[in-house]
Amino acid sequence: MAMDTGKMSNFLEMTGLVKTFTGATALQDVSLNVAKGEVVCLIGPSGCGKSTLLRTANWLTPADAGEVRLDGELVGTMPDQRSASKQAKGLNAVRARIGMVFQNFNVWPHLNVLENVVCPQMVVAKRSRNEAEKKALVALSEVGLEDKKSEWPDNLSGGQKQRLAIARVLAMDPDLMLLDEPTSALDPELVSGVLAVLKRLAEKNMTMIIVTHELGFASSVADRIVFLEGGHIIEQGPPDVILQSPATERLKLFLDKLNITAFQPKSD
Amino acid sequence: MSIDLSIFTNYGPQLLLGFWMTIKIVVAAIILGMPFGLVLALGRRSRFVFIRLLASSFIEIFRNTPFIIQVFMFFYVLPFYGLYLPAEYVGVVALAAFGSAYFAEVIRGGIDAVAKGQLESARATGMSDWQAMRYIVLPQTLPIILPAMTNQTLSLVKESAILSTITVGELTMAAITVQGETFRPFEAFIMVALLYWALNETLAIIMRRVERKVSKRSSGGSRAVPAVSAVKDG
Ligand SMILES: Nc1ncnc2c1ncn2[C@@H]1O[C@H](COP(=O)(O)OP(=O)(O)O)[C@@H](O)[C@H]1O
Ligand SMILES: [Mg+2]
Repeated sequence: MAMDTGKMSNFLEMTGLVKTFTGATALQDVSLNVAKGEVVCLIGPSGCGKSTLLRTANWLTPADAGEVRLDGELVGTMPDQRSASKQAKGLNAVRARIGMVFQNFNVWPHLNVLENVVCPQMVVAKRSRNEAEKKALVALSEVGLEDKKSEWPDNLSGGQKQRLAIARVLAMDPDLMLLDEPTSALDPELVSGVLAVLKRLAEKNMTMIIVTHELGFASSVADRIVFLEGGHIIEQGPPDVILQSPATERLKLFLDKLNITAFQPKSD
Repeated sequence: MSIDLSIFTNYGPQLLLGFWMTIKIVVAAIILGMPFGLVLALGRRSRFVFIRLLASSFIEIFRNTPFIIQVFMFFYVLPFYGLYLPAEYVGVVALAAFGSAYFAEVIRGGIDAVAKGQLESARATGMSDWQAMRYIVLPQTLPIILPAMTNQTLSLVKESAILSTITVGELTMAAITVQGETFRPFEAFIMVALLYWALNETLAIIMRRVERKVSKRSSGGSRAVPAVSAVKDG
Protein backbone atom coordinates (compact mmCIF):
# COMPACT_ATOMS: atom_id res chain seq x y z
CA MET A 1 0.00 0.00 0.00
CA ALA A 2 1.14 3.50 -0.76
CA MET A 3 1.94 5.93 1.98
CA ASP A 4 0.79 9.46 1.50
CA THR A 5 3.42 12.06 2.27
CA GLY A 6 0.68 14.58 2.90
CA LYS A 7 1.62 17.15 0.28
CA MET A 8 -0.65 20.18 0.25
CA SER A 9 -1.42 20.38 -3.45
CA ASN A 10 -1.58 17.23 -5.50
CA PHE A 11 -0.72 18.21 -9.03
CA LEU A 12 -0.45 14.69 -10.38
CA GLU A 13 -2.71 12.18 -8.68
CA MET A 14 -2.25 8.51 -9.41
CA THR A 15 -4.75 6.47 -7.47
CA GLY A 16 -5.17 2.73 -6.98
CA LEU A 17 -3.29 1.70 -10.09
CA VAL A 18 -3.26 -1.96 -10.99
CA LYS A 19 -1.58 -3.39 -14.06
CA THR A 20 -1.21 -7.03 -14.97
CA PHE A 21 0.57 -8.30 -18.05
CA THR A 22 0.08 -11.87 -19.16
CA GLY A 23 2.00 -13.75 -16.53
CA ALA A 24 3.33 -10.74 -14.63
CA THR A 25 1.74 -8.27 -12.25
CA ALA A 26 3.55 -4.98 -12.73
CA LEU A 27 1.53 -2.72 -10.41
CA GLN A 28 -0.51 -3.84 -7.41
CA ASP A 29 -2.68 -0.99 -6.19
CA VAL A 30 -0.12 1.80 -6.39
CA SER A 31 -1.03 5.38 -5.47
CA LEU A 32 1.34 8.28 -5.91
CA ASN A 33 0.73 12.00 -5.69
CA VAL A 34 3.17 14.59 -6.95
CA ALA A 35 3.03 18.27 -6.07
CA LYS A 36 3.69 21.09 -8.52
CA GLY A 37 7.43 21.74 -8.72
CA GLU A 38 8.29 18.51 -6.96
CA VAL A 39 11.00 16.15 -8.21
CA VAL A 40 10.30 12.49 -7.46
CA CYS A 41 12.87 9.80 -8.16
CA LEU A 42 11.68 6.22 -8.58
CA ILE A 43 14.15 3.52 -7.59
CA GLY A 44 13.86 -0.22 -7.32
CA PRO A 45 15.17 -3.48 -8.75
CA SER A 46 14.72 -4.38 -12.41
CA GLY A 47 11.18 -5.56 -13.20
CA CYS A 48 9.63 -3.99 -10.08
CA GLY A 49 7.24 -1.82 -12.12
CA LYS A 50 9.06 1.53 -12.38
CA SER A 51 8.58 1.90 -16.12
CA THR A 52 5.01 0.68 -15.93
CA LEU A 53 4.16 3.23 -13.23
CA LEU A 54 5.77 6.02 -15.25
CA ARG A 55 3.94 4.94 -18.39
CA THR A 56 0.56 4.89 -16.69
CA ALA A 57 1.15 8.54 -15.73
CA ASN A 58 0.49 9.57 -19.35
CA TRP A 59 -1.61 6.48 -20.04
CA LEU A 60 0.87 5.19 -22.61
CA THR A 61 0.26 1.98 -20.70
CA PRO A 62 -3.41 1.99 -19.69
CA ALA A 63 -3.91 0.59 -16.19
CA ASP A 64 -6.41 -2.21 -15.50
CA ALA A 65 -7.83 -0.31 -12.53
CA GLY A 66 -7.34 3.07 -10.90
CA GLU A 67 -7.08 6.54 -12.35
CA VAL A 68 -4.63 9.30 -13.15
CA ARG A 69 -5.39 13.02 -12.95
CA LEU A 70 -3.22 15.99 -13.81
CA ASP A 71 -4.28 19.25 -12.23
CA GLY A 72 -7.71 17.70 -11.63
CA GLU A 73 -8.06 16.78 -15.30
CA LEU A 74 -8.62 13.12 -16.08
CA VAL A 75 -5.68 11.52 -17.92
CA GLY A 76 -7.02 7.98 -17.83
CA THR A 77 -9.19 5.66 -15.82
CA MET A 78 -10.35 2.09 -15.98
CA PRO A 79 -13.15 1.39 -16.54
CA ASP A 80 -13.66 4.49 -18.65
CA GLN A 81 -17.25 5.61 -19.20
CA ARG A 82 -16.40 8.22 -21.81
CA SER A 83 -16.95 7.49 -25.50
CA ALA A 84 -13.86 6.32 -27.35
CA SER A 85 -13.47 9.56 -29.28
CA LYS A 86 -13.87 11.76 -26.17
CA GLN A 87 -11.35 9.59 -24.41
CA ALA A 88 -8.82 9.93 -27.20
CA LYS A 89 -9.28 13.70 -27.52
CA GLY A 90 -9.00 14.36 -23.81
CA LEU A 91 -5.98 12.11 -23.53
CA ASN A 92 -4.12 13.78 -26.42
CA ALA A 93 -4.80 17.23 -24.96
CA VAL A 94 -3.48 16.32 -21.54
CA ARG A 95 -0.50 14.44 -22.99
CA ALA A 96 0.55 17.67 -24.69
CA ARG A 97 1.19 19.01 -21.17
CA ILE A 98 3.27 15.97 -20.14
CA GLY A 99 6.70 15.41 -21.61
CA MET A 100 8.22 11.94 -21.71
CA VAL A 101 11.88 11.03 -22.08
CA PHE A 102 12.74 7.42 -22.89
CA GLN A 103 15.70 5.26 -22.01
CA ASN A 104 16.56 4.71 -25.66
CA PHE A 105 15.95 8.35 -26.66
CA ASN A 106 13.41 7.72 -29.44
CA VAL A 107 14.57 10.71 -31.44
CA TRP A 108 13.03 10.73 -34.91
CA PRO A 109 15.75 9.77 -37.41
CA HIS A 110 13.96 11.10 -40.50
CA LEU A 111 13.89 14.64 -39.12
CA ASN A 112 16.96 16.76 -38.43
CA VAL A 113 17.64 18.11 -34.94
CA LEU A 114 15.67 21.33 -35.36
CA GLU A 115 12.71 19.56 -37.00
CA ASN A 116 12.57 17.00 -34.18
CA VAL A 117 11.82 19.87 -31.83
CA VAL A 118 9.62 21.81 -34.26
CA CYS A 119 7.37 18.92 -35.33
CA PRO A 120 5.24 18.31 -32.20
CA GLN A 121 4.92 22.05 -31.63
CA MET A 122 3.34 22.52 -35.04
CA VAL A 123 1.32 19.30 -35.10
CA VAL A 124 0.10 19.22 -31.51
CA ALA A 125 0.41 22.77 -30.14
CA LYS A 126 -0.61 24.25 -33.53
CA ARG A 127 2.16 26.85 -33.43
CA SER A 128 3.28 28.62 -36.59
CA ARG A 129 6.59 27.49 -38.07
CA ASN A 130 8.12 30.80 -37.09
CA GLU A 131 7.12 30.53 -33.48
CA ALA A 132 7.99 26.83 -33.31
CA GLU A 133 11.49 27.43 -34.67
CA LYS A 134 12.09 30.24 -32.20
CA LYS A 135 10.99 28.03 -29.31
CA ALA A 136 13.03 25.13 -30.65
CA LEU A 137 16.20 27.21 -30.71
CA VAL A 138 15.65 28.31 -27.12
CA ALA A 139 15.07 24.70 -26.05
CA LEU A 140 18.11 23.47 -27.99
CA SER A 141 20.35 26.07 -26.38
CA GLU A 142 19.03 25.06 -22.97
CA VAL A 143 20.43 21.57 -23.57
CA GLY A 144 23.55 22.83 -25.33
CA LEU A 145 22.68 21.67 -28.86
CA GLU A 146 22.12 24.99 -30.63
CA ASP A 147 25.12 24.40 -32.90
CA LYS A 148 23.74 20.98 -33.95
CA LYS A 149 20.41 22.22 -35.22
CA SER A 150 20.99 21.14 -38.85
CA GLU A 151 22.55 17.83 -37.88
CA TRP A 152 20.83 14.46 -38.37
CA PRO A 153 20.08 12.45 -35.22
CA ASP A 154 22.11 9.50 -36.54
CA ASN A 155 25.22 11.67 -36.34
CA LEU A 156 24.73 12.56 -32.66
CA SER A 157 26.25 10.78 -29.68
CA GLY A 158 23.92 9.04 -27.23
CA GLY A 159 24.18 11.92 -24.79
CA GLN A 160 23.35 14.42 -27.52
CA LYS A 161 20.38 12.29 -28.63
CA GLN A 162 19.03 12.25 -25.10
CA ARG A 163 19.49 16.01 -24.77
CA LEU A 164 17.66 16.42 -28.07
CA ALA A 165 14.81 14.31 -26.68
CA ILE A 166 14.72 16.60 -23.63
CA ALA A 167 14.69 19.72 -25.83
CA ARG A 168 11.80 18.25 -27.83
CA VAL A 169 9.86 17.93 -24.58
CA LEU A 170 10.87 21.36 -23.22
CA ALA A 171 9.72 23.20 -26.33
CA MET A 172 6.18 22.04 -25.58
CA ASP A 173 6.26 23.92 -22.22
CA PRO A 174 5.38 20.82 -20.22
CA ASP A 175 3.75 20.98 -16.78
CA LEU A 176 5.21 17.60 -15.94
CA MET A 177 8.13 15.57 -17.22
CA LEU A 178 8.45 11.80 -17.02
CA LEU A 179 11.93 10.37 -17.48
CA ASP A 180 12.56 6.62 -17.69
CA GLU A 181 16.21 5.87 -16.91
CA PRO A 182 17.39 8.77 -19.07
CA THR A 183 21.08 7.88 -18.67
CA SER A 184 21.03 4.07 -18.55
CA ALA A 185 21.78 3.66 -22.24
CA LEU A 186 24.66 6.13 -22.22
CA ASP A 187 28.39 5.55 -22.13
CA PRO A 188 29.64 6.60 -18.68
CA GLU A 189 31.41 9.75 -19.94
CA LEU A 190 28.16 11.05 -21.49
CA VAL A 191 26.00 10.66 -18.38
CA SER A 192 27.04 13.85 -16.59
CA GLY A 193 25.99 16.15 -19.46
CA VAL A 194 22.44 14.81 -19.38
CA LEU A 195 22.26 14.87 -15.58
CA ALA A 196 23.46 18.51 -15.56
CA VAL A 197 20.55 19.46 -17.84
CA LEU A 198 18.10 17.69 -15.53
CA LYS A 199 19.60 19.38 -12.48
CA ARG A 200 19.06 22.80 -14.05
CA LEU A 201 15.44 21.86 -14.76
CA ALA A 202 14.96 20.79 -11.15
CA GLU A 203 16.36 24.13 -9.98
CA LYS A 204 13.84 25.87 -12.22
CA ASN A 205 11.08 23.98 -10.40
CA MET A 206 10.10 21.69 -13.22
CA THR A 207 7.81 18.94 -11.92
CA MET A 208 9.49 15.65 -12.72
CA ILE A 209 9.26 11.94 -12.08
CA ILE A 210 12.61 10.33 -12.83
CA VAL A 211 13.32 6.61 -12.85
CA THR A 212 17.02 6.30 -12.12
CA HIS A 213 19.76 4.10 -10.74
CA GLU A 214 22.05 7.11 -10.17
CA LEU A 215 21.63 7.45 -6.42
CA GLY A 216 24.05 10.37 -6.14
CA PHE A 217 22.05 12.27 -8.71
CA ALA A 218 18.76 11.28 -7.05
CA SER A 219 19.89 12.50 -3.67
CA SER A 220 20.93 15.86 -5.11
CA VAL A 221 17.81 16.64 -7.21
CA ALA A 222 14.95 14.70 -5.61
CA ASP A 223 12.50 16.17 -3.14
CA ARG A 224 11.32 12.64 -2.57
CA ILE A 225 12.59 9.19 -3.40
CA VAL A 226 10.09 6.39 -3.93
CA PHE A 227 11.26 2.80 -3.60
CA LEU A 228 9.25 0.22 -5.52
CA GLU A 229 9.46 -3.53 -5.33
CA GLY A 230 7.20 -6.23 -6.72
CA GLY A 231 4.67 -3.69 -7.96
CA HIS A 232 4.31 -2.05 -4.53
CA ILE A 233 5.61 1.20 -3.11
CA ILE A 234 7.66 -0.12 -0.18
CA GLU A 235 9.04 3.11 1.18
CA GLN A 236 9.23 6.78 0.30
CA GLY A 237 10.56 9.98 1.76
CA PRO A 238 13.24 12.68 1.50
CA PRO A 239 16.53 11.47 -0.06
CA ASP A 240 18.63 11.68 3.10
CA VAL A 241 16.16 9.58 5.06
CA ILE A 242 15.65 7.02 2.32
CA LEU A 243 19.32 6.67 1.42
CA GLN A 244 20.91 7.06 4.89
CA SER A 245 18.41 5.33 7.14
CA PRO A 246 16.09 3.03 5.23
CA ALA A 247 13.25 1.71 7.37
CA THR A 248 12.66 -1.59 5.59
CA GLU A 249 14.93 -4.54 5.16
CA ARG A 250 14.16 -4.71 1.43
CA LEU A 251 15.31 -1.17 0.76
CA LYS A 252 18.46 -1.81 2.83
CA LEU A 253 19.24 -4.87 0.72
CA PHE A 254 18.59 -2.98 -2.50
CA LEU A 255 20.85 -0.10 -1.51
CA ASP A 256 23.61 -2.46 -0.40
CA LYS A 257 23.51 -4.25 -3.73
CA LEU A 258 23.60 -0.98 -5.68
CA ASN A 259 26.52 0.32 -3.65
CA ILE A 260 28.49 -2.85 -4.28
CA THR A 261 27.77 -3.02 -7.98
CA ALA A 262 28.35 0.69 -8.44
CA PHE A 263 32.09 0.05 -8.56
CA GLN A 264 31.88 -2.91 -10.92
CA PRO A 265 31.43 -2.80 -14.68
CA LYS A 266 27.73 -2.85 -15.55
CA SER A 267 26.57 -6.31 -16.49
CA ASP A 268 23.13 -5.44 -17.82
CA MET B 1 10.80 -19.83 -89.43
CA SER B 2 11.33 -16.50 -91.13
CA ILE B 3 10.33 -13.23 -89.59
CA ASP B 4 7.90 -11.09 -91.51
CA LEU B 5 9.11 -7.57 -90.78
CA SER B 6 6.19 -5.96 -92.60
CA ILE B 7 3.97 -6.89 -89.66
CA PHE B 8 5.92 -4.50 -87.43
CA THR B 9 5.35 -1.60 -89.81
CA ASN B 10 1.76 -2.49 -90.75
CA TYR B 11 0.49 -3.36 -87.30
CA GLY B 12 2.92 -1.31 -85.18
CA PRO B 13 0.49 1.58 -84.64
CA GLN B 14 -2.25 -0.82 -83.51
CA LEU B 15 0.10 -2.45 -80.99
CA LEU B 16 1.29 0.92 -79.73
CA LEU B 17 -2.32 1.94 -79.18
CA GLY B 18 -2.78 -1.15 -77.02
CA PHE B 19 0.48 -0.34 -75.26
CA TRP B 20 -0.80 3.15 -74.49
CA MET B 21 -4.01 1.67 -73.07
CA THR B 22 -1.97 -0.66 -70.82
CA ILE B 23 0.03 2.28 -69.51
CA LYS B 24 -3.12 4.30 -68.80
CA ILE B 25 -4.83 1.42 -67.01
CA VAL B 26 -1.81 0.55 -64.88
CA VAL B 27 -1.18 4.18 -63.92
CA ALA B 28 -4.84 4.66 -62.97
CA ALA B 29 -4.80 1.41 -60.98
CA ILE B 30 -1.71 2.56 -59.07
CA ILE B 31 -3.15 6.01 -58.39
CA LEU B 32 -6.24 4.35 -56.92
CA GLY B 33 -4.61 1.25 -55.46
CA MET B 34 -1.74 2.73 -53.46
CA PRO B 35 -3.81 5.16 -51.34
CA PHE B 36 -6.43 2.47 -50.89
CA GLY B 37 -3.70 0.05 -49.86
CA LEU B 38 -2.63 2.58 -47.22
CA VAL B 39 -6.22 2.84 -46.02
CA LEU B 40 -6.41 -0.95 -45.79
CA ALA B 41 -3.10 -1.14 -43.90
CA LEU B 42 -4.27 1.50 -41.42
CA GLY B 43 -7.69 -0.18 -41.24
CA ARG B 44 -6.01 -3.38 -40.12
CA ARG B 45 -4.73 -1.60 -37.02
CA SER B 46 -7.90 0.38 -36.30
CA ARG B 47 -9.20 0.33 -32.74
CA PHE B 48 -12.62 -0.71 -34.08
CA VAL B 49 -12.99 -4.47 -34.55
CA PHE B 50 -15.43 -4.05 -37.42
CA ILE B 51 -12.99 -1.96 -39.47
CA ARG B 52 -10.13 -4.34 -38.70
CA LEU B 53 -12.25 -7.27 -39.85
CA LEU B 54 -13.39 -5.51 -43.01
CA ALA B 55 -9.85 -4.52 -44.00
CA SER B 56 -8.31 -7.91 -43.34
CA SER B 57 -11.12 -9.79 -45.13
CA PHE B 58 -10.66 -7.59 -48.19
CA ILE B 59 -6.90 -8.16 -48.17
CA GLU B 60 -7.20 -11.92 -47.67
CA ILE B 61 -9.83 -12.39 -50.38
CA PHE B 62 -7.96 -10.43 -53.02
CA ARG B 63 -4.62 -12.02 -52.19
CA ASN B 64 -5.89 -15.57 -52.11
CA THR B 65 -8.08 -15.84 -55.20
CA PRO B 66 -6.94 -15.88 -58.86
CA PHE B 67 -6.88 -12.45 -60.46
CA ILE B 68 -8.74 -13.74 -63.50
CA ILE B 69 -11.65 -14.80 -61.28
CA GLN B 70 -11.69 -11.36 -59.64
CA VAL B 71 -11.79 -9.76 -63.08
CA PHE B 72 -14.73 -11.96 -64.14
CA MET B 73 -16.52 -11.15 -60.91
CA PHE B 74 -16.20 -7.42 -61.51
CA PHE B 75 -17.05 -7.74 -65.20
CA TYR B 76 -20.03 -10.08 -65.04
CA VAL B 77 -21.36 -9.46 -61.55
CA LEU B 78 -21.42 -5.65 -61.42
CA PRO B 79 -24.00 -5.34 -64.26
CA PHE B 80 -26.12 -7.83 -62.35
CA TYR B 81 -26.45 -5.12 -59.70
CA GLY B 82 -27.23 -2.48 -62.29
CA LEU B 83 -23.71 -1.08 -62.52
CA TYR B 84 -22.68 -0.84 -66.18
CA LEU B 85 -19.12 0.33 -66.64
CA PRO B 86 -17.02 0.28 -69.83
CA ALA B 87 -14.59 -2.64 -69.82
CA GLU B 88 -11.56 -0.34 -69.34
CA TYR B 89 -13.06 1.08 -66.13
CA VAL B 90 -13.87 -2.38 -64.83
CA GLY B 91 -10.28 -3.29 -65.62
CA VAL B 92 -8.90 -0.34 -63.68
CA VAL B 93 -11.11 -1.11 -60.68
CA ALA B 94 -10.20 -4.81 -60.68
CA LEU B 95 -6.49 -4.10 -61.03
CA ALA B 96 -6.61 -1.42 -58.32
CA ALA B 97 -8.47 -3.70 -55.90
CA PHE B 98 -6.06 -6.56 -56.55
CA GLY B 99 -3.03 -4.27 -56.24
CA SER B 100 -4.27 -2.53 -53.10
CA ALA B 101 -4.41 -5.83 -51.19
CA TYR B 102 -0.73 -6.44 -51.94
CA PHE B 103 0.26 -2.81 -51.35
CA ALA B 104 -1.52 -2.98 -47.98
CA GLU B 105 0.54 -5.95 -46.87
CA VAL B 106 3.77 -4.27 -47.93
CA ILE B 107 2.83 -1.06 -46.09
CA ARG B 108 1.86 -3.01 -42.99
CA GLY B 109 5.22 -4.76 -43.00
CA GLY B 110 6.91 -1.37 -43.27
CA ILE B 111 4.94 0.04 -40.35
CA ASP B 112 5.86 -3.01 -38.25
CA ALA B 113 9.52 -2.55 -39.13
CA VAL B 114 9.65 0.94 -37.63
CA ALA B 115 10.69 0.66 -33.98
CA LYS B 116 7.74 0.70 -31.57
CA GLY B 117 9.33 3.55 -29.60
CA GLN B 118 8.88 5.86 -32.58
CA LEU B 119 5.10 5.61 -32.43
CA GLU B 120 5.11 5.75 -28.63
CA SER B 121 7.26 8.85 -28.42
CA ALA B 122 5.01 10.56 -30.96
CA ARG B 123 1.86 9.61 -29.06
CA ALA B 124 3.50 10.81 -25.84
CA THR B 125 3.75 14.35 -27.25
CA GLY B 126 -0.04 14.35 -27.67
CA MET B 127 -0.24 13.38 -31.34
CA SER B 128 -3.30 11.38 -32.38
CA ASP B 129 -2.71 7.94 -33.82
CA TRP B 130 -3.15 9.32 -37.34
CA GLN B 131 -0.81 12.29 -36.72
CA ALA B 132 1.85 9.97 -35.30
CA MET B 133 1.52 7.79 -38.40
CA ARG B 134 1.50 10.71 -40.80
CA TYR B 135 4.46 12.66 -39.39
CA ILE B 136 6.62 10.09 -37.62
CA VAL B 137 6.02 6.49 -38.67
CA LEU B 138 5.01 6.55 -42.35
CA PRO B 139 7.91 8.78 -43.47
CA GLN B 140 10.28 6.21 -41.96
CA THR B 141 8.31 3.42 -43.61
CA LEU B 142 8.83 4.83 -47.09
CA PRO B 143 12.46 3.81 -47.69
CA ILE B 144 11.70 0.38 -46.22
CA ILE B 145 8.74 -0.39 -48.48
CA LEU B 146 9.87 1.15 -51.77
CA PRO B 147 11.64 -1.95 -53.16
CA ALA B 148 8.64 -4.18 -52.43
CA MET B 149 6.22 -1.55 -53.74
CA THR B 150 8.25 -1.50 -56.96
CA ASN B 151 7.96 -5.27 -57.28
CA GLN B 152 4.20 -5.11 -56.78
CA THR B 153 3.92 -2.38 -59.40
CA LEU B 154 5.89 -4.46 -61.92
CA SER B 155 3.64 -7.43 -61.29
CA LEU B 156 0.56 -5.24 -61.83
CA VAL B 157 1.89 -4.43 -65.29
CA LYS B 158 2.13 -8.13 -66.03
CA GLU B 159 -1.25 -8.98 -64.49
CA SER B 160 -2.91 -6.30 -66.61
CA ALA B 161 -2.57 -8.70 -69.57
CA ILE B 162 -5.44 -10.69 -68.07
CA LEU B 163 -7.76 -7.76 -68.78
CA SER B 164 -7.69 -8.87 -72.44
CA THR B 165 -10.15 -11.57 -71.38
CA ILE B 166 -12.84 -8.95 -70.74
CA THR B 167 -12.32 -7.16 -74.07
CA VAL B 168 -10.17 -4.33 -72.77
CA GLY B 169 -8.19 -3.06 -75.77
CA GLU B 170 -4.83 -3.19 -74.05
CA LEU B 171 -1.53 -4.55 -75.28
CA THR B 172 -2.22 -8.28 -75.06
CA MET B 173 -5.62 -7.81 -76.68
CA ALA B 174 -3.93 -5.92 -79.52
CA ALA B 175 -1.47 -8.77 -79.98
CA ILE B 176 -4.26 -11.32 -80.12
CA THR B 177 -6.07 -9.25 -82.73
CA VAL B 178 -2.94 -8.82 -84.86
CA GLN B 179 -2.21 -12.50 -84.60
CA GLY B 180 -5.76 -13.29 -85.69
CA GLU B 181 -5.53 -11.06 -88.73
CA THR B 182 -2.04 -12.05 -89.84
CA PHE B 183 -1.72 -15.63 -88.59
CA ARG B 184 1.82 -14.64 -87.51
CA PRO B 185 1.78 -15.28 -83.73
CA PHE B 186 5.56 -15.12 -83.35
CA GLU B 187 5.90 -11.55 -84.65
CA ALA B 188 2.85 -10.33 -82.78
CA PHE B 189 3.77 -11.80 -79.41
CA ILE B 190 7.52 -11.08 -79.54
CA MET B 191 6.70 -7.45 -80.18
CA VAL B 192 4.31 -7.39 -77.21
CA ALA B 193 6.73 -9.16 -74.91
CA LEU B 194 9.39 -6.57 -75.77
CA LEU B 195 6.99 -3.74 -75.00
CA TYR B 196 6.04 -5.18 -71.56
CA TRP B 197 9.71 -5.73 -70.83
CA ALA B 198 10.60 -2.16 -71.86
CA LEU B 199 7.84 -0.73 -69.70
CA ASN B 200 8.87 -2.69 -66.60
CA GLU B 201 12.55 -2.03 -67.13
CA THR B 202 11.82 1.71 -67.36
CA LEU B 203 9.68 1.59 -64.21
CA ALA B 204 12.38 -0.34 -62.35
CA ILE B 205 15.06 2.19 -63.29
CA ILE B 206 12.89 5.13 -62.22
CA MET B 207 12.00 3.48 -58.92
CA ARG B 208 15.64 2.65 -58.15
CA ARG B 209 16.42 6.36 -58.56
CA VAL B 210 13.56 7.29 -56.25
CA GLU B 211 14.73 4.70 -53.70
CA ARG B 212 18.20 6.20 -53.64
CA LYS B 213 16.82 9.72 -53.24
CA VAL B 214 14.41 8.77 -50.48
CA SER B 215 16.89 6.82 -48.39
CA LYS B 216 19.41 9.65 -48.71
CA ARG B 217 16.92 12.33 -47.72
CA SER B 218 15.41 10.41 -44.85
CA SER B 219 18.59 10.13 -42.83
CA GLY B 220 21.21 12.60 -43.88
CA GLY B 221 23.24 10.15 -45.89
CA SER B 222 23.41 7.22 -43.49
CA ARG B 223 20.97 4.43 -42.73
CA ALA B 224 17.32 5.39 -42.77
CA VAL B 225 16.07 3.14 -40.00
CA PRO B 226 17.29 3.37 -36.43
CA ALA B 227 18.91 0.27 -35.06
CA VAL B 228 15.73 -1.19 -33.60
CA SER B 229 15.86 -0.20 -29.94
CA ALA B 230 19.35 -1.38 -29.22
CA VAL B 231 18.54 -0.94 -25.57
CA LYS B 232 15.94 -3.11 -23.95
CA ASP B 233 13.82 -1.56 -21.24
CA GLY B 234 14.73 -3.02 -17.90
N1 LIG C 1 4.74 -4.91 -22.42
C1 LIG C 1 4.87 -5.85 -21.48
N2 LIG C 1 4.44 -7.11 -21.69
C2 LIG C 1 4.54 -8.07 -20.75
N3 LIG C 1 5.11 -7.88 -19.57
C3 LIG C 1 5.58 -6.66 -19.27
C4 LIG C 1 5.48 -5.58 -20.21
N4 LIG C 1 6.04 -4.47 -19.66
C5 LIG C 1 6.44 -4.84 -18.41
N5 LIG C 1 6.17 -6.14 -18.19
C6 LIG C 1 6.45 -6.88 -16.93
O1 LIG C 1 5.98 -6.10 -15.87
C7 LIG C 1 6.90 -6.08 -14.80
C8 LIG C 1 7.36 -4.66 -14.51
O2 LIG C 1 8.10 -4.18 -15.62
P1 LIG C 1 8.70 -2.72 -15.68
O3 LIG C 1 7.67 -1.75 -15.28
O4 LIG C 1 9.30 -2.55 -17.03
O5 LIG C 1 9.85 -2.78 -14.57
P2 LIG C 1 11.09 -1.84 -14.36
O6 LIG C 1 10.97 -0.65 -15.23
O7 LIG C 1 11.04 -1.51 -12.91
O8 LIG C 1 12.30 -2.66 -14.67
C9 LIG C 1 8.04 -7.00 -15.22
O9 LIG C 1 7.80 -8.27 -14.67
C10 LIG C 1 7.93 -7.06 -16.71
O10 LIG C 1 8.38 -8.29 -17.20
MG1 LIG D 1 12.20 0.09 -16.74
